[in-house]
Amino acid sequence: MSFKTASEGYVKYQGLGNWAFVLHRLTGLGVILFLAIHVVDTAFVYFAPDLYKEAIALYRSPLFGLGEILLVLSIIYHGLNGLRVIYFDMVNPNMWTIEINRKSVIWTWIITLVLWLPAAVVMGSHILEHLGG
Amino acid sequence: MQVTLKILRYNPEKDAQPHYERYTLDAEPTDRILDVLEKIKAHEDGTLTFRRSCAHGICGSCAMRINGRNRLACKTLLQTLDTSKEITVEPILGLPRVKDLVVDMTTFFDNYKKVMPYFVNDEPLPEDGRERLQSPEERERFDDTTKCILCGACTTACPTFWADNSYVGPSAIVNAHRFIFDSRDRAAAERLKILAGESGVFRCRTAFNCTEACPREIDITKAIAEVKRAIITGRLD
Ligand code: SF4
Ligand code: FES
Repeated sequence: MSFKTASEGYVKYQGLGNWAFVLHRLTGLGVILFLAIHVVDTAFVYFAPDLYKEAIALYRSPLFGLGEILLVLSIIYHGLNGLRVIYFDMVNPNMWTIEINRKSVIWTWIITLVLWLPAAVVMGSHILEHLGG
Repeated sequence: MQVTLKILRYNPEKDAQPHYERYTLDAEPTDRILDVLEKIKAHEDGTLTFRRSCAHGICGSCAMRINGRNRLACKTLLQTLDTSKEITVEPILGLPRVKDLVVDMTTFFDNYKKVMPYFVNDEPLPEDGRERLQSPEERERFDDTTKCILCGACTTACPTFWADNSYVGPSAIVNAHRFIFDSRDRAAAERLKILAGESGVFRCRTAFNCTEACPREIDITKAIAEVKRAIITGRLD
């Protein structure tokens, strides 16, 4: 009906399927935001090399480091969940039962975490080193 | 046993905004949410408004959000919910609120009508002038989607529909599926054309809320996926 109705549903509606969907949207937005920033800063190389250096310095800040760790999470989740949905939708709709769907959502979260955690540890320790040095 | 219901109340003649009201009363674990609503209406507040008819899960009148999920009030037993906490009851989402738990279903039925949810076959009747025969396998093909009671629980659980109710919604697709895959029907191509359009099946994001919500346990997302495939491949198998 509207943005307001959709937001109410996103936040309040219960169920694994809804959470998987809302996360997919949020991580998608996160990735788009990163891409937009990245396109802009890369354009600086040509149009305003000084600003580019500033941008790079900004990216070295711990806050951006944290953002990058979340970015990796977003990319992994968005990609995996996207593949999950495509598989069900296009390849094997016979698997569409509540049970299999719930399990597949949980597995997607587990695999996301397994892939993300090592990256998060490596990236996190870089930030800490940077802070220490 | 005592239960507390937290109900979203809204009287358009008095309230600027909907608000919650709480009612605590005695109930049995085998009572359904509908029974509790009836008790509140009879003994606590006669103005409480909700829709019901059959009370047996077949008319499709009483879909509402119970603890954040769409269900039929007449099929939801208290013992299946956590009664140590308040139970939240709200109207289904995505359709205009009329009063309390009642919403205006016009858009829902308009979307339903868009998919030609009726049998189409202008060919002459068989020799004996009676039935158009069908094998058990052919009947089985669309059995699941014959079970729909048009309660709207699926469509109003759908994130795409919340954002834009020109999307025909899962319920309309279920009812289209029921005829598209019926060997006796002759309008599958027309329905597929409608559903291939802007407000059709490709708005589905496979969130699965519809299937979880359906009180008739129809595999809705599967039906939608089958219609998607029929559109892409042009085959009805
Ligand atoms: S498909 Fe299920 S949830 Fe949707 S309207 Fe029909 S009975 Fe209700
Ligand atoms: S009152 Fe008929 S379905 Fe609930």
